[in-house]
Amino acid sequence: MINTALNLTKKQRVLNALAGKDVDRPPVSNPTNVATVELMDYVDAPFPEACRNAELNAKLALTGHSELGFDSIAPYFSIIQESSALGCEMQWEQKDNWPTVRMGNPIWKSKSDIKIPSGFLEHKDNIAITRSINILKNEVKGQVAILGKTMGPWTLAYHVFGVEPFLLMSIDNPSETLEILKKLKEITVLFGQAQIDSGADVLVVPDHATGDLVSARYYDDFLLEIHQELVEDLQVPLILHICGRTVDRMPSIAKSGMAAFHFDSKNTPSEAMEAVGDGIRLVGNINNPETLYSKSPEDVKQEVYRALDAGVQLIAPECAIPLKTKIENLLAIPSAVNQWVSNKFQS
Amino acid sequence: MIKHDGLKEEFKYVTKPDEQEHIAGLFASGDMLMQEIAYSLITGQNIEVGSLVKKALENDYSANIVLDDGLIAGMAIVGVKFRDNIIFVPEVLISARAMKAGMEHIEPILSAAGVKPIGTVIMGTVKGDLHDIGKNLCIMMLRGGGFLVHDLGVDTKPDDFIDAVMEHDAAIVGMSALLTTTMPNMGTTIEAFEEAGMREEVKIMVGGAPVTQEFADEMGADAYGDNAVDCVQKAKELVITEN
Repeated sequence: MINTALNLTKKQRVLNALAGKDVDRPPVSNPTNVATVELMDYVDAPFPEACRNAELNAKLALTGHSELGFDSIAPYFSIIQESSALGCEMQWEQKDNWPTVRMGNPIWKSKSDIKIPSGFLEHKDNIAITRSINILKNEVKGQVAILGKTMGPWTLAYHVFGVEPFLLMSIDNPSETLEILKKLKEITVLFGQAQIDSGADVLVVPDHATGDLVSARYYDDFLLEIHQELVEDLQVPLILHICGRTVDRMPSIAKSGMAAFHFDSKNTPSEAMEAVGDGIRLVGNINNPETLYSKSPEDVKQEVYRALDAGVQLIAPECAIPLKTKIENLLAIPSAVNQWVSNKFQS
Repeated sequence: MIKHDGLKEEFKYVTKPDEQEHIAGLFASGDMLMQEIAYSLITGQNIEVGSLVKKALENDYSANIVLDDGLIAGMAIVGVKFRDNIIFVPEVLISARAMKAGMEHIEPILSAAGVKPIGTVIMGTVKGDLHDIGKNLCIMMLRGGGFLVHDLGVDTKPDDFIDAVMEHDAAIVGMSALLTTTMPNMGTTIEAFEEAGMREEVKIMVGGAPVTQEFADEMGADAYGDNAVDCVQKAKELVITEN
C-alpha cells in the first residue's frame, strides 16, 4: 500500500516494497545495468575498466543514485565476474558495449568437470564487485539500497557449458542436468554470500530460463526447488531476473519464495500482476530498445504510468539498458513515479 | 496422405488451414519410409534419422525425394510447433541434430549432382554480440528450405558482411542480435553497404530476441523475421522480389 505520510529513506523504500510493506511511493530500482556512456564520461569511469576496478565501479554505480535519482544502486557490469573467475573466455569489449562470456568456447562438458577454483572469491573480477559494494556501503551510509548480483545456476550453465550444448543436455540427460544445476548453485551462494558480507542489502539472481528458449515446464522441473533453496541459503531479499516472455511460468516463480521478480516488457504489467497474484512482488518493466533507447521522456512516463496503474510494486527498466540511452529518458522514470503519486494521492 | 500413427498425432499441431494443406501436400505420396523419417526427425531421434535416410538412399530413393518428403516435411511441422510455442529451443535443437544426421548422407549426393540452391544467404551475428543460437536455428531452417548459407559466426564486422557478399555473390544478408547494445550495429552494417555502393545489390533481413519490425524499419532493413520459420519465409519472399 502507498502511504504518502510515511517518510522513508531510499533504502527503506526499496526494502519495504520488497517485503510487501507500506511505502510512501513506489521505489525506482535497478536490478540490471542503468550505467550509460554519458555517465561513464561524467565520472570518468568507462567500461570495461569500471567493470574490473572496484573504485571506478563504485564511482559509476553511485550515479544511479546521485545523477539519476533511483532508490537503489548496483555495481555494473556484474553478470560475468564469476564466469571470468571460473576460467571462461571473456570479451571485455569497450565503453559502448557490455562485456560478454565467449559461450562458443565453453570450459566444461559434464558434471565431473565442475570445479570451483581455490581463491575463487579472491579473483580480481570478483574482488572488484565485493570491494565496490563495500565502498558503496561506506558512501551511502544506509540511505540507499545496495543491490548485489549473483548469477543463478541456469545462466552459469550457459556460460560454462555453452547455451546449445547445455540445452541439448537438458533433453539428452535431464537427471545429470539437474545435478549440474545443484552443483552450480554452490557458486551462486558463494558469490552471493560474499556480497552480503560486503554490504549488499538485496541480491539480484539472473537465471535465464526464458520463454524465448525453454518451456514453462523447465522452470518447474529444473529450477523451482533450487530457487527455493537459494532463498534459504541467502538471507537477504532476492530479486529473480529472467528476460523475455515469462508470463507462463510466473505462477511457479511466485512460489519460489523470492522477494520479487524482475520482468521484461514482453509481458504486460497487467497480465504479469494477474499471473503472480500475491505470491511475489514485481519489478519492471520499462521497455529498453524502443522506449528508453529511442523514444521521448513523455513515452517513458506513459509506460511508467501503465506499470503503476497495473500495481507493479517497484519500477525499473526491463533489463540492462543500451549504453547509449539518453539520460533524460532515465530521469523521466523517477519523475513519472513522483508525478503519478502526486496525481493519485495528493490531488 | 499421412499413414504413420505418430505423424498423424504430430500433424494435429498444424491448425491453420493453409498450413494444413501445404504440409499434407508434402506427405501426399503416402510413403511410409519418408513418414518414418519425418516422424523421427520431429521427435529428435538423430541416430534413427541417419540410418533411415541411409536405408532410403540404398533402396533407390532419390536424394531430393528424401530431403523434400522426409526431412523438410518433418521440419515443416517442427517449425509450426516452435512458432506456436508447443516446443521450444531444446526440442528444435534435437530435431536440428537429427536433420544434420540425415543431411550428412544427402549433401554429398546433391553436391555431386550440382543441384542449385534457391538463393545464397550470408548470415552472421553483428559486431560486439557473441550470441548465436537464434542465428544457428535460422541457418538450419534456411538450409532445410533449400538455401545455400554461409555462416560468418558471431561478432561480425560490417566489412566482413560486405566481403562475404562479394565473395559468394549472395543476394541476401541476414543479421542477428540478442543485445540491446548491439542492435544498432545492424544499422551500422546497413550504412556500410550504402557507403560501399552495394545497398541496391543485396536484400537485408534482421532478427533476434529484442529486435522488432519497428526497429528493423528504422534501421532500413528489407525484412524482419520474428523466428526461424519466419526467417525462411522472409528469405523466400526476398528471393521472389529479387527475381
